[in-house]
Amino acid sequence: MLLLLFKIIFALLALSAVFTVWNKKQKTLLGPKATFFWIVLWLVITLVVFWPNSTQILAEYVGIGRGVDLVIYISIACLFYLVFKMNIKIEGLKRDLTNVVRKESLKEK
Amino acid sequence: MFIAIVPAYNEEKRIAKVVSDLLKSVDSVIVIDDKSSDNTIEEAKKSGARVLQHKINLGQGAALETGHEYARSIGADYVLHFDGDGQFCVEDIAPALKNLKESKADILFGSRFLDNRSKVPFLKKYFLLPIGRFINKLFGVVSLKDSQNGFRILNRNALEKIKITQNGMAHATEIMGLTRKHNLNYVEFPVKVIYHEYGQGIGGGVKIVKDLFLGKFLK
Repeated sequence: MLLLLFKIIFALLALSAVFTVWNKKQKTLLGPKATFFWIVLWLVITLVVFWPNSTQILAEYVGIGRGVDLVIYISIACLFYLVFKMNIKIEGLKRDLTNVVRKESLKEK
Repeated sequence: MFIAIVPAYNEEKRIAKVVSDLLKSVDSVIVIDDKSSDNTIEEAKKSGARVLQHKINLGQGAALETGHEYARSIGADYVLHFDGDGQFCVEDIAPALKNLKESKADILFGSRFLDNRSKVPFLKKYFLLPIGRFINKLFGVVSLKDSQNGFRILNRNALEKIKITQNGMAHATEIMGLTRKHNLNYVEFPVKVIYHEYGQGIGGGVKIVKDLFLGKFLK
């Protein structure tokens, strides 16, 4: 009973997250790739909550012992990728900032 | 026209002498102040330099490129990269420029290892610089004896082609990479370096590698 309640609460949370993502897309705060990524991520998490064995099936298919290990490996890979993407974004912003500062300094010549 | 580009950050004690010495060897000195918190700007102006100011501290590479843009805009024939802390000797400038012209190269790189005048710290000479040379090889740049020397002279051709995007100390490797990319003729020339500070340590080296790696993913 408690498990079912948890699943229902989680489903509502996931639905609200997907709704938020979609709203951001409508306001052009998110691009198509990011929208796709976040919606798929929430759907996959929901799938795992409702059918925990699904990770086990996939884990066995790719040769990893336990489903939970597969989830951890994928999470770590995703986090590394996100940190990398953020670093690239920061570097790009630094270059834009440099160009602005440079233009200002050359105006004073 | 031969101009010296001098990036400076909190160099009020040394910049005046550097500028006045440089003015004996070049036509004009451009000091790029990288948001110093001391009197670098006033000292540089008093000693006869033209000063460009960064409103935010960006790094030596960014300051050099600001100097490049200025040099391009006034049609400079040769530009000299010269540190603002007085670690280089002005006596090296005239023979270096002569060497660049005679060898018909586009860019001259200063080197601490072509004579015995520089007292390079042991750890730097036998540990950090060989690692630097290895990293430069990984990034496919021109092969130099001294991988991190800030003394350079560029002719107009090199000035037009070398556009520095690395704000920090990774610009040294980037310049070597752009020399290879644009197939520029280069030459190494012995210069004396006087150490006032230790300079780049291991942490600085790691940051250079990180900056070069991330730079590969940006246009």
